[in-house]
Amino acid sequence: MRIRLTLGLTDRPGTLLTALEKIAINGGNIISIIHNREQLTAGYVPVSLSVEFPSHENFERARAGIEASGIPVLSTESLERNIETVLIIGSMGVEKLRSVFEGRGEVISLSYGGGSRSPYIRILFSVPADYRESLLSSLELLAEENNCLVVREEF
Amino acid sequence: MIRCGIIGYGFLGTRLAQALTDYRPRGLLLTALANSKGYIFSRDGFDKQSLPRDLSTHRGFKQDTPLQLIEDGLLDLIVVLTPTNVYTGNPGLTYIREALRRGIDVVTADKGPLVVAYRELISTAKSAGASLLYEATVGGGIPVFSLARHSLRGDRIRSVRGILNGTTNYILTRMHFEGLPLDLALKEAQMMGLAERDPSLDLGGIDSACKVVILANALLSMDKRLDDVYVKGITQVTSDAVMAAKEMGMTIKLVGSIEGGHLYVAPRLVRLNHPLCVHGTLNAIQFRTEVMGELTLIGKGAGESTVSALLSDIEWIIDRRAVSRVGP
Repeated sequence: MRIRLTLGLTDRPGTLLTALEKIAINGGNIISIIHNREQLTAGYVPVSLSVEFPSHENFERARAGIEASGIPVLSTESLERNIETVLIIGSMGVEKLRSVFEGRGEVISLSYGGGSRSPYIRILFSVPADYRESLLSSLELLAEENNCLVVREEF
Repeated sequence: MIRCGIIGYGFLGTRLAQALTDYRPRGLLLTALANSKGYIFSRDGFDKQSLPRDLSTHRGFKQDTPLQLIEDGLLDLIVVLTPTNVYTGNPGLTYIREALRRGIDVVTADKGPLVVAYRELISTAKSAGASLLYEATVGGGIPVFSLARHSLRGDRIRSVRGILNGTTNYILTRMHFEGLPLDLALKEAQMMGLAERDPSLDLGGIDSACKVVILANALLSMDKRLDDVYVKGITQVTSDAVMAAKEMGMTIKLVGSIEGGHLYVAPRLVRLNHPLCVHGTLNAIQFRTEVMGELTLIGKGAGESTVSALLSDIEWIIDRRAVSRVGP
């Protein structure tokens, strides 16, 4: 899994190395490091690291290790994107659907089928892993309100 | 000798009685057969010839509650095969509660009592030194709980999911392969004896949800009830939607799952090469464990195969009693 970690580093030699060690011993592979020197706040320089971890547990252990060594983790964000399909059985307007995807996921293709007798909507979409559950839950809620059924993909 | 009574003498009860009198497990006597109207009892045990087809026409039939057999201390083991009530657990719950309280071992295929009072029953069994085994409640003959109890003993189960209801799986399979609408596939299942006349518990996902609750409590040490499960059945699934899934190399299956503390039963899009993509009346159960990873079991989820699960539980109790007689 690919994660973006933003750390608050003090301008002291060896601080970044300490954080990198915690990532390395937990199997993390560093893809990129960006220093945001212009965003210096409260004596910290935000540093964004894109890291590939073998599992969520490895990431959590690395994060705990970094924090235990006194380096604040300012934010974490999954860089994974899922591409998947969902079927909505029933009838629903495209405007309502758009509001669910807005800001969370991207519709790659959408098609209506089944005619007026047994309508369904097939949607292929991409979504960052962090937003997947909230997007699908909102979709299910909307479907419920419209007497439709959401059929998610089982991986 | 372990004196064993079967409470519930329907399809499963008669098949189990036949199996027990056929191969006569060592150390066990089948001494009582009961249904909702009464029971028959034989101190020397029934054999293949003396097994009645219909209890109520038997000479020794006594019109009384099977509770009497338990209260009179006439049994050491009861096999509870009562009709399932997922909301009250009864009548099975009353028999199981009373038996365990008196230290009588229990084997059951009735989901109701476990869905309503799992924690209470386990705790009663523990304090009375009795065993409560329920392999036949989930996945028919698939050895779900014994596998977890024995073969996965050193591992940790993190999540469980599966195709837990043979009736809905049969219907969805017919919709997928023949393009049948749901109502026709249901009629077909009813004619073949695969669906009840009132199929609402199967189609509404409630039967699967009960199994999810039992799996969560028994395998993941949770304390969940039926209300804790997000349940969506298959009644809204149309043949057009199933065909749309098919065009994408997928099908629609009713999946039950326990993942990260969440319990759900819902129709899902499943790829045709997915381990859970089993057809007809088959069930599939997949464990995800800490060390082993994924492990999928596939087998017949109902009918005759359930007797295999009951026999396995009965044998386990015979072994346990033999060990406790020998001492540590």
